[in-house]
Amino acid sequence: MNTERPIFIPVLLGTTRQGRASERVAGFVAAELGKREGVETELIDIRNLPLPADDEGEAIKDAQFSATVARADAIVIVTPEYNHGYPGMLKHALDTNLKEYVHKAVGVCGVSAGGFGGTRVIQNLLPVLRELGLVTIFWDGNFSGAHKLFDAEGRLLDQAYVRRTDQFLKELIWMAKVLRYGRENITLE
Amino acid sequence: MAKGNKMLCPDCGVEMNQHALKIDYAAEDVDGFDPDLGGVPEEVHSCPRCGKTHARRGPLKPELA
Repeated sequence: MNTERPIFIPVLLGTTRQGRASERVAGFVAAELGKREGVETELIDIRNLPLPADDEGEAIKDAQFSATVARADAIVIVTPEYNHGYPGMLKHALDTNLKEYVHKAVGVCGVSAGGFGGTRVIQNLLPVLRELGLVTIFWDGNFSGAHKLFDAEGRLLDQAYVRRTDQFLKELIWMAKVLRYGRENITLE
Repeated sequence: MAKGNKMLCPDCGVEMNQHALKIDYAAEDVDGFDPDLGGVPEEVHSCPRCGKTHARRGPLKPELA
């Protein structure tokens, strides 16, 4: 395995809604990832993906987004919970790739105004991620009371999230390394 | 994947590793449709040097090829 190449884990901000609380969560997770040696990250805001609404799937691939996913070893998806489900625009963006995801790790951070930290959206998203070829981990990020998590300057108010996110990212990075080894060294047949 | 038919990384030129066969169930590619698998098979390969993933059409049933 090429151990000198950093593990690349982009963070996908999965909502375009105005006033989204997930934006600060995504920024926080990306910052925590960026502190780790040997890990490279970038924040992908689906609001910035030029995806048309009159077609779907791989037919509307954005070349830059696809190249980023193809280079990734894992992905963090930060998603709010809208009516117990995931944003339609997140699914619209995810569906533009397919083989780019195969045998790569994914961790999901659920964001909700209530007290369940997006657990229902995570459960609803898991079968989609599985079909895309991503490998889910058993840690999630659960961000409850999303509009009260950060102060006006964007500082995290509850430091427990730092430790929880640390464990979530450790598990994701472990899985990313294992799957990179597998992709590059273990042949299907 | 047929032996001796290794995919070379389009970026690095090194031999890639096929680690998956993914079925695209939504593809509307009639020529590539495999009735046994229920969709269009695509081989997924990764480059051991740069790590990038590339794909190509998977093998069809011999009688369809």
